[in-house]
Amino acid sequence: MKRFSFFLLIALIAAVSAVALAACGGGGSTTGSGPSTSEPEGEGTPAAEGEGNEGGTLKGAYTSFPDYMDPQISYTAEGWTAMRPVYVPLLTYKAAAEAEGSEIIPGLAKELPKVTNGGKTYTLFLRPGLKYSNGEPIKAGDFKYAVERCFLTNSGGSPFYTDIVGAEEFAKTKKGGIPGIKVNEKTGEIVINLVSPRGTFNNELALMFVAPVPQSTPDEDQSASPPPASGPYMITKSQPGRGWTYERNPYWAKANGKEIELPSGHVDKIEIEIQRNQSTQVNDVESGKLNWIFDPPPTDRYQEVKEKFEGTQFTAEPTISTYYFWMNQTEEPFDNLKVREAVNYAVDPAALERIYTGQIVGTQQILPPGMPGYKKFELFPHDVAKAKELIAESGVKDKEVTVWTDSESPNNDAGTYYEGVLNEIGLKAELKILNPDNYFTVIGNTSTPNLDTGFADWFQDYPHPNDFLFLLNGENIQSTNNQNFSQTNVKPLNEKIDKLATELLGPQQETEYAELDEEFMKEAAWAPYGTRTLSLFVSENINLETAIWNPTFETELTSLEFTE
Amino acid sequence: MSPDSEKPGAAAVPGDPGAAARGTVTGDPELVAEVEGESGGDGRQGGPWAIAWRRLRRNKFALFALGVFLLIVICCLLAPVWADNVAHTGPNTTHTLEKLHEGGEVKEVVEPSGKAIGPQFFSAGGRFFLGADGHLGRDEMVRLLYGGRSSLFIGIVAAIITTILAVVLALLSGFYGGWTDTVISRGMDVIWAFPVVLLSLALGIVLAVGGLELGPIHLKSSSLWIPTLIIGVVYTPYMARPLRGEIFALREKEFIEAAVAQGAGPARIMFLEILPNLMSTIIVFFTLNIANNMLLEAVLSYLGAGVQPPSSSWGTMISEGFEALYSQPILTIIPGTAILLTVLSVNVFGDGLRDALDPKSKVRFEARAGTADPDAIGPV
Repeated sequence: MKRFSFFLLIALIAAVSAVALAACGGGGSTTGSGPSTSEPEGEGTPAAEGEGNEGGTLKGAYTSFPDYMDPQISYTAEGWTAMRPVYVPLLTYKAAAEAEGSEIIPGLAKELPKVTNGGKTYTLFLRPGLKYSNGEPIKAGDFKYAVERCFLTNSGGSPFYTDIVGAEEFAKTKKGGIPGIKVNEKTGEIVINLVSPRGTFNNELALMFVAPVPQSTPDEDQSASPPPASGPYMITKSQPGRGWTYERNPYWAKANGKEIELPSGHVDKIEIEIQRNQSTQVNDVESGKLNWIFDPPPTDRYQEVKEKFEGTQFTAEPTISTYYFWMNQTEEPFDNLKVREAVNYAVDPAALERIYTGQIVGTQQILPPGMPGYKKFELFPHDVAKAKELIAESGVKDKEVTVWTDSESPNNDAGTYYEGVLNEIGLKAELKILNPDNYFTVIGNTSTPNLDTGFADWFQDYPHPNDFLFLLNGENIQSTNNQNFSQTNVKPLNEKIDKLATELLGPQQETEYAELDEEFMKEAAWAPYGTRTLSLFVSENINLETAIWNPTFETELTSLEFTE
Repeated sequence: MSPDSEKPGAAAVPGDPGAAARGTVTGDPELVAEVEGESGGDGRQGGPWAIAWRRLRRNKFALFALGVFLLIVICCLLAPVWADNVAHTGPNTTHTLEKLHEGGEVKEVVEPSGKAIGPQFFSAGGRFFLGADGHLGRDEMVRLLYGGRSSLFIGIVAAIITTILAVVLALLSGFYGGWTDTVISRGMDVIWAFPVVLLSLALGIVLAVGGLELGPIHLKSSSLWIPTLIIGVVYTPYMARPLRGEIFALREKEFIEAAVAQGAGPARIMFLEILPNLMSTIIVFFTLNIANNMLLEAVLSYLGAGVQPPSSSWGTMISEGFEALYSQPILTIIPGTAILLTVLSVNVFGDGLRDALDPKSKVRFEARAGTADPDAIGPV
């Protein structure tokens, strides 16, 4: 009994020491929240809509700070969810779930664009009398500046707009403006001329990249001091790495008599903190200290949370996304097709399904299920022996490669698994794990040394296969904020993407996109391994029934409301 | 034989374990017996190291701690033997989809929910003795043993680096004094000005991304030498400062004057006259430093600035286990216990060693007995 007690004591002390050590990484806690009756400032009456319990301060958490808190530069789900209630483009997506959430509606524009000149000219009108959250009027020229700012900041979204007349030249010189966009400040008219028709241009006008910002906004990252808002909320405090706060925008158009088909939100204030420990996030939601978390529960607790709260505080939300390992095709050994094929044979989506505790569904292609043009195929059934053969044939055995991933669970485990796979088939892999705050910024900078291979994911910007395949268009490789991490550049395939992008999506185009998907996989451009299921998890006092999960923006923050 | 015992007055230096032993004890019979015991009981006093060893031998708790530490070291050194012959897997080999067959029962190493198999001890022939580590299904016991090698390597090698740097800098600073001392001391102050964890963390994060390229030294970001060097350097002032103080006292002693009079050069005086008199202090510092280094390694690895995944150390294992703290707390408790036992054993042994080597403890002992020969005791 004494011995037992002694060892129990040792184990207890060890556990306490370990937990104390572990607590070094923990973040702070939040205080409780609930409806309040704070009065918004400003000229209008930014009243909330709906029949829910209005007002109060919503407390939320992210595991990492978004890549940027700047509408022109941010290109992550984290950033877009955060900025959705703050910046409204000329066109936007309906604040709804599933297919309805992919419907394009007028945002700051009066109506959808008039397309003329064989699909090469888009004409829109800005709603009159709009103001930013600082009281400054929103001008038609602000849209033009937003597009130019995309290029000035080397935004990852800039390739969407290179078909505008003069945009390509502007991208190179960064001088003289983009002549293909003409605005009339008096009438609010905006005319956009394209070099060639672009079947996805309406979708692209609805992206966050071209949400108008004042022309006085500096052409550099404004994450610490985001530009004034045009949406229902404004960011009143932003502390990169720590969190940010929203308050109601006193000049929100809808609150001032404009008929914008976007909700005004229910709560008066939203406070988002960065809480690195996902398990603590779950505890805080359970206890009501947090009302909402951006990231799903950690893999360790996913099943438990799902079983306990599904339908009351939790919903699993399938996404249109692809998780994959990229391989830099401009460098050895991944410039060799056999090596890339070997990796595809060696990576086992079934193992990764287990690593992601069922939160991904295995796949081996670029287009995910649910995307128009998706046609299931499997070119590389799991076969490690074949992978080893291919590596031996390629003559790159024992070649050193660096594997990149971020430290967010379970992406870190996926990276560790992948590193093991590469070592198993005969390469000498070294794992490099980065903070998720700057992971994509680092791997998107082509001058970063040893960018050999690593983890990445892609969630749809809009429901169009081009939104996935454009990532592999070699013409879109950028020196910074690059999204073509594999630096794939196959000229005939680039041309096919360019051609299809000019056409409106129909059955013929869908078939061609499906063929393109397979052609890229024959090039083994990526090693895709799954499509993700995310989740919405809220505290007991949040109305889950009215919470909206948008296919592009994920949680619609404006849909969250307190129950009684 | 201790070098200073050849010289007149040499017993009167701090840090000389022989100094106290030369005192005459005539008081309390119990204490007399103890001190006589130190001298072997047969009238032969022996050298200071022999006396220290006899004292240490009497401290059963310290010897037990030494035994525990050596056992841990031996177990960790035998990691490849366990991995190859018992567990049949490597520390980084994943078993995500593997199934264990035990007496007709099939167990998944990692359940679809992501929960890993718990300790199997010998029911699976030694495989997954302590279970598997989360979603990747790596053998926890194998990782613990290999992780111990990393942690011990960093603890011991960093202590050697600290000792070498501290001794050299303290000798130069304490012996030469003047501007040499000023430059070295201010350099130490700069390092000392930063909290150890913060400085190590900053260096660790920078070097964990880009590795170290310093002249002919090229270290990969995953190299164990990076945390080792960082820890070795940041702890240097904590050892160099007290040594420098002792050297200041020693350089005024007669045996140094005698050495100078005999024409000994600075190098000979520093390394052959002063250094041997610092040995007991250095040994005690070195031992305690190992424990501190292992703790710092655990903190750095936990925070991602120490040993880089997938390599294991006890710190990285705590970090990885923390992700499954809710469902599998054992993954955190196991490496936590390993750190606790190792650090505790090193600290207890270090304390025992200090008691055995440090004449100050003897001074206190004899002063209490009121029997020591005051002439035989050096300045305290």
